[in-house]
Amino acid sequence: MNSPPEGGHYVRAVPGAAYLLAILIVVFAIFGSGFATVANVLNIGVQSSVLLLLALPMTLIIMSEGLDLSMSAVLSLAGVVLAWMLMNEHGLPAALAAAVGVGLAFGVANGILVVALGLPPFVATLGTLGVAQGLALVLTGGQSVVGIGDVLPAVYDSRPLGLPFSIWIALAAFLVFRFTLSKTRFGAYVSAIGGNREALVLAGVRANLHHLAVYALGGAMAGLAALLLTGRMSAGHPTAAIGMEFDAVAAVIVGGTSFERGKGRLGGTLIGVLTIGVVKNGLNVLAISSSLQVASIGVLVIVALVIDSMLQAVGARRRGRTLPA
Amino acid sequence: MKTIAYRLVAVALIGVALTLTTDVFLTPANLLNVLRQASLTFLIASGLTLTILTAGLDLSVGANVGLSACLAATVMKSTDSIALGVAAGLGVGALVGVVNGLMITLLKLPPFIATYGMLWTLNGVTYWFMGGDTIHGFSPGFRQLGSGYWLGVPVPIYVMAAFLVAGGIFTRYTTFGHEVYAIGANREAARLSGVPVRARLNLVYVLSGAMAGLAAIVYLARLNSAEADIGEPLTLPAIAAVLIGGTSLFGGAGSLSGTLAGALTLTLVVNGMNLLAVDANWQPLVTGVIVILAVWMDVMTRQRAEARV
Amino acid sequence: MRGISKRFPGVRALDDVSLDANAGEVHFLLGQNGAGKSTLMRILCGAHHPDAGEILLNGAPVRLTSPADARHLGVAVIFQEFSLVPYLDLAQNIFLGREPRGVLPGTIDHRRMHAEARRLLDTLGVDLDTRTPAHELGVAHQQVVEIAKALSQNARILVMDEPTAALSDHEIDRLFARIRALRADGVAIIYISHRLQEIAAIGDRVTVLRDGRNVASFANAGNFANPENLANLVRLMVGRQVETTYRQKFCEQPGEIVLDVRDVDADNGVHGASLTVRAGEVVGLAGLVGAGRSELARAIFGADRVVSGTVSMNGTPLGRGPVSAVRAGVGLVPESRKTEGLALNRSVADNVLVAGMRKVFPSGWYCARAAAHVASDIVSRLKIATPSVGRLTRFLSGGNQQKVVIGKWFAAGSRFFIFDEPTRGIDVGAKAEIYGVIDTLVAGGAAVLMISSELPEMVAVCDRAYVMRDKRIVGDLGRADLSEANILRLAMHHE
Repeated sequence: MNSPPEGGHYVRAVPGAAYLLAILIVVFAIFGSGFATVANVLNIGVQSSVLLLLALPMTLIIMSEGLDLSMSAVLSLAGVVLAWMLMNEHGLPAALAAAVGVGLAFGVANGILVVALGLPPFVATLGTLGVAQGLALVLTGGQSVVGIGDVLPAVYDSRPLGLPFSIWIALAAFLVFRFTLSKTRFGAYVSAIGGNREALVLAGVRANLHHLAVYALGGAMAGLAALLLTGRMSAGHPTAAIGMEFDAVAAVIVGGTSFERGKGRLGGTLIGVLTIGVVKNGLNVLAISSSLQVASIGVLVIVALVIDSMLQAVGARRRGRTLPA
Repeated sequence: MKTIAYRLVAVALIGVALTLTTDVFLTPANLLNVLRQASLTFLIASGLTLTILTAGLDLSVGANVGLSACLAATVMKSTDSIALGVAAGLGVGALVGVVNGLMITLLKLPPFIATYGMLWTLNGVTYWFMGGDTIHGFSPGFRQLGSGYWLGVPVPIYVMAAFLVAGGIFTRYTTFGHEVYAIGANREAARLSGVPVRARLNLVYVLSGAMAGLAAIVYLARLNSAEADIGEPLTLPAIAAVLIGGTSLFGGAGSLSGTLAGALTLTLVVNGMNLLAVDANWQPLVTGVIVILAVWMDVMTRQRAEARV
Repeated sequence: MRGISKRFPGVRALDDVSLDANAGEVHFLLGQNGAGKSTLMRILCGAHHPDAGEILLNGAPVRLTSPADARHLGVAVIFQEFSLVPYLDLAQNIFLGREPRGVLPGTIDHRRMHAEARRLLDTLGVDLDTRTPAHELGVAHQQVVEIAKALSQNARILVMDEPTAALSDHEIDRLFARIRALRADGVAIIYISHRLQEIAAIGDRVTVLRDGRNVASFANAGNFANPENLANLVRLMVGRQVETTYRQKFCEQPGEIVLDVRDVDADNGVHGASLTVRAGEVVGLAGLVGAGRSELARAIFGADRVVSGTVSMNGTPLGRGPVSAVRAGVGLVPESRKTEGLALNRSVADNVLVAGMRKVFPSGWYCARAAAHVASDIVSRLKIATPSVGRLTRFLSGGNQQKVVIGKWFAAGSRFFIFDEPTRGIDVGAKAEIYGVIDTLVAGGAAVLMISSELPEMVAVCDRAYVMRDKRIVGDLGRADLSEANILRLAMHHE
């Protein structure tokens, strides 16, 4: 079962999620008119780009046995900041830098809470979610920030080589993350943090620093994702991204990354993101309400978790002695 | 007991501060309002406290309240029967608890993930059958439960008191309650002492769901309307109340009276912000900071205790 | 290492300990759990700093401030829990933290890393694909990877902690071959193991630690092929008992069969176990570490799953799980009392009552006063030294903590007690008291199954004993035949 590895990481040949995705595509193509068109496929891609930008760092965070529930709120906040900067005619590069900066600040804060203070990740990031969400609401008074000018919408609507801008960004992000995970030391250490942190420390590596960087990266990517979201809405809204962190977690889990032992695969996350995108789009095409979509994704996550834990139990029973979890 | 005393002192201090800075705080109307709001938060947080006592967590309580309230409202409107509506609300709440419990004991899913998935599932289901609709206008008799007064005191406070007592009896005067603490303090030691761990865990999550259902009924009576998103802002304050109240996320320590103190503290802070005309948008931020501080104190207490052997 | 001392909060782990290792030699380090072996090795590998003492390498004193320092100086440690990352491949695991650099800053040169790893594995004569993820390997192969890791660091001092604990005989032979090759190469090997039979097979010198101190050193390991010498060694490891009376008298006429275990297989590896215990008896369960004694105890108690066979109490078969065993009157005093026997953050009273809830409060209503009363009663009966029953058990001494665990089963009305290493880590006075407790129990008609690694204790306390090896019961010694040498003979390989 040796397949070409992702650098130092081993992965099963084809993630189970790929089969699920294929089945879903076939079902929706048959029953939904208008599903299997080029325009719709591109639509799915565009809709999924923001989620992918969140799900990629979320993969790393979950690999390190952590979680970041604040990503969506940070994304909203960064979007608000971005829109505000544009509204005040600061130019796109400066605005983007500000957005990413805000995201990075929250990412570092999360990292400090979890790594330095030792707070349980889900509660700590639940807290920063409140803080980020609150800040976004306070700064905007609950209103959208509009009047962001023409530059960003133009960039967002552009189609270099025929593909929408957001898909290019998502693709680039995916490739960068893939490279990082497979070719850099940082990428290897992320798996070690989740799989056997003690081993990393004994090997003389500054595990805390790398661990913090994982959360910082999550925040920064949320800032980058704000570029796409604000571009899509042509405005910054404080509650724009509510619920996206759940989709990101769902995408990562469905894609086969597990909460323990440092197992993760970005390809799986990509498939997970696409699966969610296909489910939402497909259910839309079939005119099924959007709220049921959310419910179905919830069920999807639970099913994926159950399968994951069953596979783990089977694997553990087959081996005599296992490595420390 | 000592920890409760500290928390009550904190509550008193906040009360004093607010009395000095506003003229409205110390009026009966405001105080009763605070108590009523704290009671509602307490009802949700009470079942949640039990799950946290076992070193678990029920993140789905807020969404549970939302679903139960909407379902109860729908049933009440379509059958014209309060009793059926209440039964539906309680039933759904408890059912959610049953599923949570099974996910955790049978499927052995980590509690925070299982209940997090449940949270979003419930959200989705609620939105699905409510759409964007609002159901409102219930019978005056029913509304007494949330907005009525009895002997000058809002009814929800009596409900809170009843469940504070019931919960206190459960945790201190039943063997079930003591076993819950034992499970939280050291689950394996409890198992090896013959405590039926899975049965108790299931019980605790069912209770959490049922209390969410109950809170939903009282909320419904108070708001006199139901829409899909009423449950969303409820989870974070409930968790905050439990944590401020001294119940440890690590299990085995805490109490319902602590949760009440925590609910009071939180409600006072929010009340203060309202009275001081602070933008309501600050509230999630403040709650978030409070949660972080409360967890941090929990972790520090744990570390200090363990270093002290 | 000379005169090494180390204190942790509340316990003196090492007191003026010295150990030396010569090139091309396998030096056995023996001692019970808690004797200080792990702490000493962690100091050697730079993970802990000694409070006093010095470390000399090739005669020159060195300072080890971190694991990296130790590595640079040629020290490699293979811990019992391997330091492998499950989802990284072998090459990455071998070079963790020392990966060859790639072109761009921060990247890894995978080709070179895998080539180097290939070379190392070939040296060890292993055919594994370097791209295999660590979690797919069996224990023996994981160990080889750990050795490769050590070799890649040009280790001149190799410490191996319980290397054979999970290996089959065949794999052990291969490991010994590799060790001999390393020895021939001039590597100094410090070998920690509980498997006494290995001393003669692969050892050159032996050092024994007890309670954080040096006890003895022997230069000729070959002498330890003789079981009498080994019994001596065991005595050194556990220490001479100081004038403690064990039992008042042994059981002349055991009563009815209380526990009947028939042909039990459990999912923890126990196979085909059958034994009986009668009322009034103290039956021992002997064997070396890893023989399966605790596993059998857990299977009887229901803590681990019984796959086939029956466990009966007073003629009635037990259902699954501890709940059923406890209700039938079985009590387990586990080996790790702090993690499995007690809730350290709860009071003495809470801990004493937790198993007896059904018995003391059959209606389900809990009365704090009645609970305190029961707890006080138990505290005085067992002479537990605590200022009050409300004191957290975290603050009690080891002996008193153990008494709380025993008291828990008193309160539950148990009639059959399983003791797993009941007097380990307990001072002499408390030990005597616990023997007294056992006496009282069986005098009252209860039955006891006792696991102990202290052979003198086993011989002096038990009426008879079963001996285990490789997760099976291999022998049954009656009162007349119960001796340390006989136990060891049955407990070890090929005797």
